[in-house]
Amino acid sequence: MIEKFWQKCLPYIFVAPAMVFMAVFTLYPLGNMIYLSMTDWVLMSKTKNFVGLDNFIYIAQRADFLNALGNTFFYTFWTVLTLMVAALVFAVLLYKNTRLNNLVRTAMFTPHVIALLSVSMIWSWLMNEDSGLLNMLLSAVGLPTSRWLNSSDTAMASLVLVSWWKSVGYYTLIIFAALQGIPAEIYEAAELDNAGALNRFLRITLPMISPQVFLCLITMTIGSFKVFETIRVMTAGGPGKSTQVLVYYIYNTAFGMQFKIGVASAAGVVLLVIVGLLTMLYFLVLSKRVHYQ
Amino acid sequence: MAKIELVKVTKRFGNTTVLENLDLTIEDGEFTVLIGASGCGKTTLLRMIAGIGPQTSGQILMDGVDISDLPPGKRDLAMVFQNYAIYPTMSVRENIEYGLKNKKVPTAERNRLIEEISEILGIADYLKRRPSQLSGGQRQRVALARAMVKKPKVFLMDEPLSNLDAKLRAHMRVELIELHKKLNTTFVYVTHDQVEAMSMADRIILMDKGVIQQEDSPSVIYNNPCNRFTAQFIGSPQMNILKVPDTEFFFGFRPEKIELSNEKSDKFVQKKARIVTKEMLGSETLYQLYFDNISVMAKSLSERFSDEIYFSLNREDILLFDKAGARIYNKDNRFADTLEKVRGF
Repeated sequence: MIEKFWQKCLPYIFVAPAMVFMAVFTLYPLGNMIYLSMTDWVLMSKTKNFVGLDNFIYIAQRADFLNALGNTFFYTFWTVLTLMVAALVFAVLLYKNTRLNNLVRTAMFTPHVIALLSVSMIWSWLMNEDSGLLNMLLSAVGLPTSRWLNSSDTAMASLVLVSWWKSVGYYTLIIFAALQGIPAEIYEAAELDNAGALNRFLRITLPMISPQVFLCLITMTIGSFKVFETIRVMTAGGPGKSTQVLVYYIYNTAFGMQFKIGVASAAGVVLLVIVGLLTMLYFLVLSKRVHYQ
Repeated sequence: MAKIELVKVTKRFGNTTVLENLDLTIEDGEFTVLIGASGCGKTTLLRMIAGIGPQTSGQILMDGVDISDLPPGKRDLAMVFQNYAIYPTMSVRENIEYGLKNKKVPTAERNRLIEEISEILGIADYLKRRPSQLSGGQRQRVALARAMVKKPKVFLMDEPLSNLDAKLRAHMRVELIELHKKLNTTFVYVTHDQVEAMSMADRIILMDKGVIQQEDSPSVIYNNPCNRFTAQFIGSPQMNILKVPDTEFFFGFRPEKIELSNEKSDKFVQKKARIVTKEMLGSETLYQLYFDNISVMAKSLSERFSDEIYFSLNREDILLFDKAGARIYNKDNRFADTLEKVRGF
């Protein structure tokens, strides 16, 4: 009797610590955010009045929120697109296990282990308009210099570049590992089937690594939607509001000048819903093309 | 259909030379089996013909035309791999169709060919399935279909049956023989299994350490091996090889040529021996015999023997080899003398 009880309970006891952590640090804040999004709570005040969907209606009419939303989509789209394409291209180019390729792969991966905060600082210096290394190099080879973070035209692209630089090695490594898993004789069979290089890549390589590509797409998208550190350190949302993104908007609304927790929570819920919908969209559209073995 | 010639081909991997200055002709329409222990270079040879592991030097000719520099897809040959190498992300139909599409065969023609081939191989019912949903035998057939549908001049097969269970393997062997008869195409088949080689080949090419030891029909290879390596490689249990007393030569005889009897006979060689082990295989029985500190294997249909028996050999069943392992034929002047010494042993 007691033995049976233990047999049933033991697994739950083992997972209990993890579950407790998840409840305290994920589920409770999530529930609380949804609750707060429907109140008018300001951090300073003691009263929390229920206001229904008023906060959502409020942000939907605010130009700065819509601007942040648009910027987030812009940042995510370009980050995901350039990262995915680059990771695929680099992984294919570095496929052969030569000493040089090993070195290049390691070098490319290194930025991933550096703290994002440090990366942001370093790139702020590199992109400095007057004394930065990038402009020095550009003018040294006779190319026009860029205003980088100082112009609203180039600031967002500069941020995309930084995130690209930090992550490309990591995703290249994932795709590279996936490529290694494709048996050589499948390519040999394709060669005997008279398939050209592009045909081989599209019809054989890409379908074979589709589970990893799919995983990368989802993590890239979620990661880009949550971008914060680089923007906080490098541009603080500027120049103007040109690099204001959703998470930075939430941070500013809640802890900047206004302390509007209710409004910030509503923006947080919107972020949650968008990321959730996008992931679902990926699954609906792409999962049929993903080949799990 | 095509004749394949290899002219002075050499293959090196880094500093290791696998094949050196090898010449070989594979006749048009023949079922040729390349056999040898693993690492003997047989698969390397096959991959060279396919073009997926090009030779370091030398030429490969197909019907007299040099194809050494042609890419694999332009060589008009098809290959069946040991692990089938079916495209896992494509359906059976797409697998078979892929090569045709790349050759720009029109759709109607493609459909006709796929229908025809899948009918022959009995895979018409699962053209829509994915390879992961197929059994080993079915995958084997898909790999064959993919090769056949291209109607190549040459079929290359790299141990295609080694992943199948014994029963299915025996079945596929018969099917491959029938297929070869039907298609009348050149088959080049690599295996380390002598049963496959003996049962299917028109001609066996036996290789060891990158060197061709003998190329002949199965019956010649078995009954008339040209050296000690061939004599011992083909046949199970392998040929008994013993030293000829007071010489540097060796003599050999197949286990089934030994005659066992409870009484003395008047054969060319006659010995009394003890049975050490007995393996009953069903239709026949293997005996390990022991005499004068020598042990030999014998095969017999009968199993009614006492522990002490007489074994005897006929003169014509004894093969002689010199010190280096080369065969001493009966026209050789050393033959008669040496054989006399065998009688006395």
